[in-house]
Amino acid sequence: MEWSVVEGTGRYTVGVSDSDGLLSVSSMQLDGSSVNPPDISISRADQTGQLKVEISGASHLAHVAKVGDDWWIHMDGRTHVVRMHESGSSEAESVQGGMSAPMPGTILEILVKQGQRVREGQTLLVMEAMKMEHRIQAPRAGEVTRLHYSVGDRVDMGTTLVEIGD
Amino acid sequence: MTVGPFESAPRPFSRVMVANRGEIAVRILKAAREAGLGSVAVFSDADASSLHVEVADEAVHIPGESLAETYLNSEALISAALSSGADAIHPGYGFLSERSDFAVAVVEAGLVWIGPPAEAISTMGDKISARVRMIESGVQVIPGEELTVPDGADHLGVLASCAARVGYPLLLKASAGGGGKGMREVREPKLLRTEYEAASREASAAFGDGTIYVEHLLTGARHVEVQILADSHGSCIHLNERDCSLQRRHQKVLEEAPSPAVDSELRQAMGAAAVKAAQAVGYEGAGTVEFLLSSSDDFYFLEMNTRLQVEHPVTEMTTGIDLVLKQFEVAAGLPLGIVQDDIGISGHAIEARVYAEDAARGFLPCVGRLSTWKIPQGPGIRVDSGVRQGDTVTIDFDPMLAKLIVHAPSRPAALRRLDTALSDLIALGVTTNIDFLRDVAAHHAFASGSVTTDFLDSSDVSALSMPEADPAVLVAVACASQRLGLERAASAGDLEASDEHTGHSGDPFRTLTRSFP
Repeated sequence: MEWSVVEGTGRYTVGVSDSDGLLSVSSMQLDGSSVNPPDISISRADQTGQLKVEISGASHLAHVAKVGDDWWIHMDGRTHVVRMHESGSSEAESVQGGMSAPMPGTILEILVKQGQRVREGQTLLVMEAMKMEHRIQAPRAGEVTRLHYSVGDRVDMGTTLVEIGD
Repeated sequence: MTVGPFESAPRPFSRVMVANRGEIAVRILKAAREAGLGSVAVFSDADASSLHVEVADEAVHIPGESLAETYLNSEALISAALSSGADAIHPGYGFLSERSDFAVAVVEAGLVWIGPPAEAISTMGDKISARVRMIESGVQVIPGEELTVPDGADHLGVLASCAARVGYPLLLKASAGGGGKGMREVREPKLLRTEYEAASREASAAFGDGTIYVEHLLTGARHVEVQILADSHGSCIHLNERDCSLQRRHQKVLEEAPSPAVDSELRQAMGAAAVKAAQAVGYEGAGTVEFLLSSSDDFYFLEMNTRLQVEHPVTEMTTGIDLVLKQFEVAAGLPLGIVQDDIGISGHAIEARVYAEDAARGFLPCVGRLSTWKIPQGPGIRVDSGVRQGDTVTIDFDPMLAKLIVHAPSRPAALRRLDTALSDLIALGVTTNIDFLRDVAAHHAFASGSVTTDFLDSSDVSALSMPEADPAVLVAVACASQRLGLERAASAGDLEASDEHTGHSGDPFRTLTRSFP
């Protein structure tokens, strides 16, 4: 099993040792290279969905919940998402450089053409969702290699709208 | 048969139907119960198992999925009231709350309308007539005009000349609505056309009317609004101001009372102007007069919201007055029972709007199932929530999940309480703006009380965020959760934990209307 922090970079593998329900990290690799494992011990807390986490001797309470392949973690007043991956699997189905619909909605306007060069942050198209307009922006500079939809199309969450190549 | 609180009032009623959903429906239904009134909820197909249905004495199903069939369907709402034996309707905010034709229809059906007179709604609801009335009454307004495009005329020409008269920068607004929908800023003429078209489209989609109002944009101003209360016996008082300067694209993010920018002299002047505005339209009930406050302490009438506001709790916390209860009393024809001198300010209150949205990705609304939802508790903490643990957040409605309100003796203490309470508000399974709210509240600009309405839109939001946690620690926690089998424990825990907040502990039937995938 490999792990990544959503929005972060890199895949982790973790070696865990279990001593009567008290877990600690014996080894850790980031993208195949060994890194220092955190000084951490983790056990179940009294309440369901909660963990006692001791980091370098200081104790913290974590609330966790699993949704799909994601572990949602609330700790120290912040919320994080850690994703599980099959070992060796490639980066999800998301198309490299593609822009996907962040939520279900309707395409209102397409501001670029196929073959057009765009800069990072340039608005590619405008969607309507929840009665508000949202601008879909280029995550990086490049050339628009494919436009999958036209104005007026309804799209589901996660569908690739635009692909950007180099 | 117990005697209700308003049996002998001039306009008696004993059973209130709330023509709304979400947190505000819950708030009003609970207030009705507390006042000794019966409570009736309405729900669309998508809301069959929502929280507001659960807190009411009775809930009436209005079939349909679209808003037009359900929460905007005045005929169906009125017949729901009649069939359920309700004798009064509270509209909440949004939906039909500012539709004078609905107010008229409610009264014509023989029901008590818990809101201002229809004439006050229509005068204030139309930006032009509101402006004219304010100018007549001596309340200062911002330069602006409605765009009237004669049939067949070239709208671009009309638009350009209107823009030139009003003066850049401009704010384009939907004539028919509020809440940031259909609202666009235009700083230079070359963007006028695209922004106008976007605003008009949004206005058509949200309000069924694409008419646009062109206003001069005051930069570096604060949004300060005054809560007023008026009865049907000629009394009208103000309950001080709320400062809602922290906005993102004209949607309020944090609201507080009192305003850090208002001293007692200015408070008196703004309060007097708000009372004058309300009296100019023969107002009754609870209403809010919104002003823009310039850096030189000049204030201009923006609009009057003829309904309860989302941010009403900060006024309740600092004045100790239950605004919904006052709405009930005024609707029943009772006098206010309080005078201006009774209104003080106790401490400081701040409200944070908790949205299912992703601050890191342009504040896009998010959907999903709230597998964990734990709200903070303690002195000076109030959570007005429309959701429970296990609920699914969909795109059908506004993505606001709850409002977190804190109250403390001083503004710095309220800020600390807000930060602590936000860090104890746990929402897992759906991305929320909770972390963003903590970052913004801790930002020195907000902490020092000096933000103006353009602060968030002109700041780099990602630069606000606090240092990320160590990814190795997070990965270790996730890995341990998996190893310890917390996924099973977490889903089995749903029922137990949600009961804590609904007060239906151990009731096996609660689960029948809930989905546990």
